[in-house]
Amino acid sequence: MNQPALDVFLTGASGFLGHYLLAELLRHPQVRCRVLLRPPISTSSARLQQLLADLGLDLSTLVSDNRITLVEGELPGSVRPKDVAGADLVLHAAGNTSFDADAAGEPIKTNVYGTKALLSLAAEAAVRRFVFVSTAYVCGEQVGHLPETVSDELPPVRNDYERSKWQAEQHVWDWGKRSGTATICRPSILFGDSRTGRATAMKGLYVVARATEILARAMDGSTNADRHHVPLRILGRSDATCNVVPIDWAAQQIARITIKPAAEPSVHHITNPNPPTHGEVKAWLEAFFDLAGGRFSDLHWPLEDANHYEDLFYSLGNICLDYFRHGLTFESRCAADVPSGRRLIDRDSFFQCLSFAQATNWGRSRGNNGGLVPPIGRIDPGWYFERFLPEAVPRSTVAKVQALTAVVRYTITGPSNRGWISRFDRGRLAETHREPTTRLEAEFEYRLTYEDFEDVVSCRKPLQDVFFYGSAEMFGDVEKALKMVPIIGEFLEEFPVSEAQSPPLAC
Amino acid sequence: MLTNTNIVEEKVRIKGSGRTLEGILAYPDGRPGFSALIAGPHPFLGGDMHNNVVISLLRTLASHGAVALAFNYGGVGGSEGGPADWPAVMSAFWKDGTFDEENDWAEDTRSAIKALQQWSHQTPVFIGYSFGCWTIAKHLQRSNAGAIVLISPNPKKHSFDQLSECTTPLLLIHSDNDFTCSAAEIIEWFDSIREPKTRTQLSAGEHFFRGSEAELASVVVKFLHGADIIRQE
Repeated sequence: MNQPALDVFLTGASGFLGHYLLAELLRHPQVRCRVLLRPPISTSSARLQQLLADLGLDLSTLVSDNRITLVEGELPGSVRPKDVAGADLVLHAAGNTSFDADAAGEPIKTNVYGTKALLSLAAEAAVRRFVFVSTAYVCGEQVGHLPETVSDELPPVRNDYERSKWQAEQHVWDWGKRSGTATICRPSILFGDSRTGRATAMKGLYVVARATEILARAMDGSTNADRHHVPLRILGRSDATCNVVPIDWAAQQIARITIKPAAEPSVHHITNPNPPTHGEVKAWLEAFFDLAGGRFSDLHWPLEDANHYEDLFYSLGNICLDYFRHGLTFESRCAADVPSGRRLIDRDSFFQCLSFAQATNWGRSRGNNGGLVPPIGRIDPGWYFERFLPEAVPRSTVAKVQALTAVVRYTITGPSNRGWISRFDRGRLAETHREPTTRLEAEFEYRLTYEDFEDVVSCRKPLQDVFFYGSAEMFGDVEKALKMVPIIGEFLEEFPVSEAQSPPLAC
Repeated sequence: MLTNTNIVEEKVRIKGSGRTLEGILAYPDGRPGFSALIAGPHPFLGGDMHNNVVISLLRTLASHGAVALAFNYGGVGGSEGGPADWPAVMSAFWKDGTFDEENDWAEDTRSAIKALQQWSHQTPVFIGYSFGCWTIAKHLQRSNAGAIVLISPNPKKHSFDQLSECTTPLLLIHSDNDFTCSAAEIIEWFDSIREPKTRTQLSAGEHFFRGSEAELASVVVKFLHGADIIRQE
């Protein structure tokens, strides 16, 4: 029997969840999607094309087959009523996931004002259903078992993101009382594809995993620390859980809820009925990064007697402070959709997701490398500084230069003018960060063009040659910078890189 | 002696104490009038015989009639030797800016002086740049140098006591913004050393004189004219 056509106006399609949602919706032949893309549409459609191609779909074909219509516009403000008119429902998946308010007004601007604007457009266009993608953690610091309801009172939120999602839910719920049927979907923390490990945004648990990787590197080459006795106190409870779901499963659930006709307002927790406990996550992380020794603690940050490794781990993101403190459970009708005995995230899928994260340089090596996009096949500075150096330095002679303690900045000049800062501690590379994500103060700096960077790291030119005869400059403590040159030179001779080693980059 | 822009450059091997060093010997295709040894910067600080200051002086002096020799210290380029325990030496260098094995490089300079004296019997001029100032100064007592040129020495790091043991005319060239030693410090040191001496301060040359090589070389040539080492143009 042919099902009636369903015309969906979708926002956020080029996001991590959004493009999975689009792919899921299109699995249903009756669905046609109007996809809102930010101007310029040439750029955003190219990104969407790439994202869908990764999922085996061709955007051009879908457009020519009238399964997808691209709509240029941005919320709040530049979407026209006629763009929404005639749609059977709006699926609002666009969101800003910044935890703290910034000067541009995010996340309030996108999450609250954008939602309000779209609700007005939907009402004006007589759209009868509005599906809003919120977050299971709109509950903030609440504990216990969370029902699938909308709270009239602001819960004890921990950040501006949670606050903005709660405010947006209020507007959506009010709209449902006047203009149509409101459906709120609250996915928990999104993790990689359960089949492939793929992820295009790496927040939440990924931040904790990345911090663990950095901790593991800090243990490498350390003369007074044993990686199997990591002196790390994990602030939380071993038996509690943080709810994490695979992206593909979350998209399936939201698509299913969206397509199913609804006459009543509803809230759906898109949550994992059997999430890994913090103890399991700790064990998996330790196994993946070959660490051991972390122990759970009831203490709270700041720790009065925090050691170097604790300072390092907890400085890598607030999520590391909060993650293991979660202890919520969720009412969820979606739980019935998980076969008995099957876990949405287990050790194998967890490892697969972390392997994917590492292979893509934690999401940086595909289209998210801050505008520093060298031509395909050339050496990616982000990969070099953030991935190659931390792996190679511990195995190099540099690690034996016990006196080497320094904070150094590398700046690759050009239109994007990107910088990285590395901290060396007694010969080991303790940490490397892309600027401006670090508060480390560099003692000295090497500045050179991308072309000279490539020549130097591939050993086509000595570093001193690009200094004396090329683009390289030294700033700050020049004497230290100069002293570091032979150390870098030794490393470059030991570990030259070629284009073939650098991961391919999407341009 | 004629100014000669046609110079010959040869790669040479220098027999040192227990190791062979590589060098570049540059000389005019006409009759030479003097010889010059150029000792370069610290091997750990970009010091090799192709350094911008070293190579500029080598060619300029050869074009003014010198048999000029520059060389690589042990372990640099094609020169044999070098510190055996590189990480330990590098650690000492990172910490203190100096280490015991530097004496081996001073010994390399002595080997280069001997080699130059075998190739040329003309009056030698000894030129040290940065670390090379110290390696040159260590051998002044036993030399018959006609002039000494020190470019950007660092008396805070190395001792130059041997300077007092000879009365060879000395030229000091330094920059007004050298990160290794401030102009005030270098002038104070210069005032404390023996005569005869001349000092020239170059503007904004840092320690590396990038882009100022020709100016620096012209100061050296002028001084050698004054010292009657370069007699004709």
